[in-house]
Amino acid sequence: MKLRGVQQTKWWGVVVFIAAILIFPLIVTQSFFITQATFAGIYAIIAIGLGLLMGYAGQISLGQAAFYGVGAYTTSILTATWGWSPWLSLPIALLVPALLAIVMGYTMSRLSGYYLAMATLALGIIVHGLLVEGKGITMGASGFYGIPQLSLFGMTINQGVPYYFLVWFFVLLVLILSLNIVHSRVGRALRSIHDSEIASSSMGVNTGRYKMQVFILSASFAGLAGWLFAHMSYSISPSAFTFDASILFLAMVVLGGSGSVWGALIGALLIRMIGITVHTLGEQFSFITSDSEHVIYGLILILVVIFMPKGLFPTVIDWFKNTSIKRAEKKSSVPVTPIKQSVSE
Amino acid sequence: MLQVESITKRFGGVVANSDVSFSVDEGQIVGLIGPNGAGKSTMFNMISSIFPPTEGNILFCGKRIDSLPSYKVAPLGISRTFQNLQVFKNMTVIENVMVGQHMRTKQNLSGVASMLLGISKNERKVYEEAMDILSFFNLELLYDQKASSLSLGKLRLLEFARAYATEPKLLLLDEIAAGLNHSETSEMSELIKRVRDSGVTILVVEHDMDLVMSICDKLVVLDQGMKIAEGAPKEIQANEAVIAAYLGAEIEEEVV
Repeated sequence: MKLRGVQQTKWWGVVVFIAAILIFPLIVTQSFFITQATFAGIYAIIAIGLGLLMGYAGQISLGQAAFYGVGAYTTSILTATWGWSPWLSLPIALLVPALLAIVMGYTMSRLSGYYLAMATLALGIIVHGLLVEGKGITMGASGFYGIPQLSLFGMTINQGVPYYFLVWFFVLLVLILSLNIVHSRVGRALRSIHDSEIASSSMGVNTGRYKMQVFILSASFAGLAGWLFAHMSYSISPSAFTFDASILFLAMVVLGGSGSVWGALIGALLIRMIGITVHTLGEQFSFITSDSEHVIYGLILILVVIFMPKGLFPTVIDWFKNTSIKRAEKKSSVPVTPIKQSVSE
Repeated sequence: MLQVESITKRFGGVVANSDVSFSVDEGQIVGLIGPNGAGKSTMFNMISSIFPPTEGNILFCGKRIDSLPSYKVAPLGISRTFQNLQVFKNMTVIENVMVGQHMRTKQNLSGVASMLLGISKNERKVYEEAMDILSFFNLELLYDQKASSLSLGKLRLLEFARAYATEPKLLLLDEIAAGLNHSETSEMSELIKRVRDSGVTILVVEHDMDLVMSICDKLVVLDQGMKIAEGAPKEIQANEAVIAAYLGAEIEEEVV
């Protein structure tokens, strides 16, 4: 059922997405690329959550890596130290980052301006510090090891194609959930807050509560990504959850386009591809070091903000729409004006 | 319906409203007028709980509303438009109206998650209702346009429609005719009367004297933060203090 003039989920997009997930491992068989694609999926989950926060609640978080790390360490400790089943620790890995987000949200009472950005920046640094220093629990900077693998119906989900499918199955869930939220009454309320908070609250929208809910949701998504990351490998270390990682997530959203669920997903894929390209080039040319990656991400951020502030995905979509209108005009040689003047004029 | 009781508002040393009292009865169109800087918009912002008054009470249907957060005022039945246009410009015309219907529809996050395929019945109902509201305001042909592509006159109508979509008992119109041409203004005054006839009480802040004099049942005149007169348009036109403070100045200008 189509309601014209209202943003709705385009299900053919989801179908194309599922097809792409299924086809990818058939075409690309090198285990290196499968692993990279699995990582890309984990990042995509975080990026989608951050994209909702930035594009729909108009807030910036510079500490998504903290929620990601808390999720990963929560499940690691529960499963490796306490011997829980990983499936049992999944809800806890979602819940702990969410609780952290709730506490942060309440202390700042009303998330406004750049306070959330500053506070999450601090959170990221604190969490990283705790992971390094809390040696008794987290095993410190050298990393936490002995994390059990996931198994389903008695079969172990190995790194490689099986884990790739597991991760992208979760990406699909997150994607559909996010698209539904965005295209519902709640999503409309969120978009209205982004345009005019004062008008939004005059329409009876509890703006503070909605922003808080999105913040909690984005933290939970990051927690889910952390859970997937932890059980993918035997060990994790705090170096995966630094401020650099938070900036990387930010770059994904800005590049792909905040305010678009698809944009965040595509941004995550592109940033990952750039990372791999730089890495591969680095093996051939000694002057390209891993630091060049950060230079490129910085350049991308600057260029995107200057030349397409809406981000890649929305810009491309707009461009397509405009050219198709122009083509229609050429064909009929009469300008196709979507705007009809109302009767009174 | 609305009672404003000895309201004073200070911004630091500036007194924007000083001991202002008036009331709005059900079914009336009341105009709040005065020269620039008289404190009309400040009064509006206090009635819609954008900020609280320094002293005094505001009662709506017998309930104090002056210290509520602004999102809690709309469910009581007060809605407003904005002088400086606060349309949701990245949304379409119909989506703007659907935000107006926000609090009248219920759908929580779990409902959203379960809405995996297709559109919920609720959504369809909201959409159809929004369409009805748009045709009431002569905006039905623009329903799928981005709000940012609309002309000023249409934007004012859209603000009006969005506020009306909350099904208010009291509607606050803040300079709804500002920047409109003559025919648009007269269309607007017809519309305001039609909305009143549908059972909505209306309080307007307006500079356009023709509009105010033709539609209002009662006028409240502010000057430099104080109420200087209250009464029917005819009485106000004859009021010495008002002529001196406001109308007189304008007439003199026109003569020159």
